[in-house]
Amino acid sequence: MITTDELQINIGPQHPSTHGVFRMLLTVDGETVVHLEPVFGYLHRNHEQLAEVNTYLQNMPYTDRLDYFNSMANNHAYALAVEKLAGIEVPERAEYIRVLMVELTRILNHAGALGFMINDMGAWQTPLAFGIREREKILDLFELVSGARMMCNYFRFGGVVRDIPDEFIPRMKKLMIAMPAYMDELERLLRENEILLARSEGIGILPREVAVSYGVTGPVLRGSGIAYDIRKAEPYSIYDRFDFDVPVGSVGDVYDRFLVRIEEMRQSRRILEQIIEQLPDASGGHINPKARQNVRPPVGDAYARVESPKGELGFYLVSDGGTKPYRYKVRAPSFINLTPLGDMCRGYKVADIVVILGSIDIVMGEVDR
Amino acid sequence: MSPTPDPSPSPRDLLREQLATVLPHACVALPDDLPELIRTADVVVHADALPEVVPFVIDQLGYGLLSDIAAVDYFEHGLFELVYRFYSIGGGGDLVIKVRVPREQPDVPSLMPILPGAMLHEREAYDLFGIRFIGHPDLRRIYMWDEFEGFPMRKDFPKQGDNYIGEGA
Amino acid sequence: MSNDTLTHSVTFTEAPAALTVVVDPTPQIARGSAVIVERRRPKAAGWSLLQGLGVVVDHWRKSFRKLDDPTQIAGTFTTEYPEERLPLPEAYRNMPILLFDDATGHELCTSCFQCQRICPPQVIHMTQAKDPETGKPVPAVSEFIIEYDACMSCGFCAEVCPFDAIKMDHDFELSTANHPSLTVHKAGLLRPVSYYQSIAPTFWAEAEASAYKKLEANKKRRPASIGIAPQMIEQVKAAHELRDDQQEADSPPAPVAIAPALDAGRAATPATASAAPAASDGDLPTDKAARLAAIRARNEAKKAAEQAAPAQAQPAAEGAATALTTPDAPLTDALPAASERTAPPAPATPDAPLDEKAARLAAIRARNAAKKAAQAEEE
Repeated sequence: MITTDELQINIGPQHPSTHGVFRMLLTVDGETVVHLEPVFGYLHRNHEQLAEVNTYLQNMPYTDRLDYFNSMANNHAYALAVEKLAGIEVPERAEYIRVLMVELTRILNHAGALGFMINDMGAWQTPLAFGIREREKILDLFELVSGARMMCNYFRFGGVVRDIPDEFIPRMKKLMIAMPAYMDELERLLRENEILLARSEGIGILPREVAVSYGVTGPVLRGSGIAYDIRKAEPYSIYDRFDFDVPVGSVGDVYDRFLVRIEEMRQSRRILEQIIEQLPDASGGHINPKARQNVRPPVGDAYARVESPKGELGFYLVSDGGTKPYRYKVRAPSFINLTPLGDMCRGYKVADIVVILGSIDIVMGEVDR
Repeated sequence: MSPTPDPSPSPRDLLREQLATVLPHACVALPDDLPELIRTADVVVHADALPEVVPFVIDQLGYGLLSDIAAVDYFEHGLFELVYRFYSIGGGGDLVIKVRVPREQPDVPSLMPILPGAMLHEREAYDLFGIRFIGHPDLRRIYMWDEFEGFPMRKDFPKQGDNYIGEGA
Repeated sequence: MSNDTLTHSVTFTEAPAALTVVVDPTPQIARGSAVIVERRRPKAAGWSLLQGLGVVVDHWRKSFRKLDDPTQIAGTFTTEYPEERLPLPEAYRNMPILLFDDATGHELCTSCFQCQRICPPQVIHMTQAKDPETGKPVPAVSEFIIEYDACMSCGFCAEVCPFDAIKMDHDFELSTANHPSLTVHKAGLLRPVSYYQSIAPTFWAEAEASAYKKLEANKKRRPASIGIAPQMIEQVKAAHELRDDQQEADSPPAPVAIAPALDAGRAATPATASAAPAASDGDLPTDKAARLAAIRARNEAKKAAEQAAPAQAQPAAEGAATALTTPDAPLTDALPAASERTAPPAPATPDAPLDEKAARLAAIRARNAAKKAAQAEEE
């Protein structure tokens, strides 16, 4: 019997599998992780205080930089919060365009997230390239409407910047023809893959009660078997008009999170189909209210949240009646989803840590803010 | 098993009503002549009563998901406010509990013994506002480096320059 | 060893002791249901690997053909940048630029400070021009600085500008080793309107009428050469001299003898644009809509032409564009170039008038026809 000492090692802050500048301080016994402590703050830029010196509208492009994978979803949450605070109505067509963009965002996020997670498992680049390819096509659409691929800055209080151009819907329809083939292919490539199963089944189990008590949201919570989706639980925008299912896992391991994300992409496509069917024509009023450049909400506070692809993204705003928020707080899903990381990783091998982290799907821009 | 929140009276009123009978000492009766900024319709509880109120909210009312703890610095009024936001897994709106502590002595009992999901929220509030959570097992800075002095989200923190001038400056 | 991980029971030491969170097993879900994802097992050992390999081989086989149809998911879709470039959408935004009128050289900016105020990273700085004699502020800008290195390309400046003077450029190849060069001054920011029109025709068509109307009003309040783009001052002077010469030559002076020459570049656009709808009975509601439609038609024609002969068309167009856009390009023939540029490359109507005067006339006629049609519709 060989007696071994426990050893402390760092993964990160500069490490390809930490998805950004993130450090995990591990205490290992051989290859087995005894303790894991996440260390944050390498990308901290005090986003929240920055927001207090900017006007409400000026904060919009900064929200793009939170979770830079899903700028549309961030825009949506922030726009909802300000609209709630200031009591602004959104025209019908703008609502549809918003949901359209956000559901496209969900697909592109999951395509990327799955790719990166499988990258972490050691399937070097090939599945990732498949994911990135689909993501690129959606980014092209974003560029068409908003002018930028990632930092879209597309939402405004009470609408969106501009109406979608004429060629958008035909291009999107073409893309939607390709989507099921892509998702099927991804499943054919990976779903029953023995290596993937070996690396993900039974790894990083998060039991359902524990998941709730840790406050995790999004695909991580649903992977643990709780059908909690804000689009269903507290429908915002126009989500109560669409039929879609909420995929949940049964075990709560990495594999379940993987499957939940694939299924969510299918459900998002279902929503997109319904949007294209129901999209009202452009006659129903203006979409970009230019007059709302200087929003001056009444004194009070408001919290609005959306089901961002990573979980519950919420903005808590306090207004003192001025043009700048008195307090601006971001409830970032990838940050809170890291709470159980230490417990999820305890007892697994070092190589599993990166997979578990990948399955949580974090973006450091949002974690550190 | 868990009681799903009844939609007819708003969760906020339900909480206030039930707290009045179950934990009569918990609620803070706010004076009517508060300045507009710190006037609130939400339930404000005493900081000391928080470890009793939160289990009540989770167990009895079924709001099991701690979504957010937001700290707000009402500098002009000399208080910090903590906004605890709970949701029910069964769906529906939020349930807000507010706690107000004086700026001079921002001590709040930690939720960590009850709800481990409060860990990062509390560390964040400590790091940026300097609110001390009594009973938190690991209350350290989370974003700023360990040697950093001062709490950058406080309203009296200088917005420009590199040096922290000090509390009350 | 690997079995260890699978059978390992996870202990949550920090799990809630005082409290167990009760989880409702079936949250209410309207218009849908909770679906438990199916955890599959491979049919046989190695089968799934072969299946996955099949996907990869399939992609390899198809990688020899170009993927140009977005309904497909396999094929090579690489664009060999910088030799090939993807077309940028009109809405594309990179860095802000300032516009000046091709014909008169007047800048559209009036120094209203709207963009400076909205800019989130505060990188726009400007100084309002002053009348050298009276010292009163003039609706023109004497210095305009944008720090390109700190700009976040949000596009707010272009969005708020009431004079359509600041627009987002499509040029994204800005990398340089010379950092100070990214603090761009007015001369470096100014581009002719025709350049913006070439990159975003529909956007400009929507803004054009009001932009020129406002410019006309502002021009009257600008003394001497204030508000004229630095790169245009020489030409404008020359044009003025020419006019003076001509006025000396013909007596009595022709009232609009040279004005058309100055306005040529601008006038040509509405003329030919509205000529197209005018040809089709002129039953369009507004002049603006007519022009929009014409420009769209022209774009399509252009696209078709490019598709027909992409090899020759593209470099030629690019050459023309760069010649015009480089701020310090030789200015000798910018004026004629500008008018050439604004004139449509492929006229939508075969009988589009070539003569400038005729063009103006046609424009006026078309506009009148459109107005009449609109009035008729209202009645």
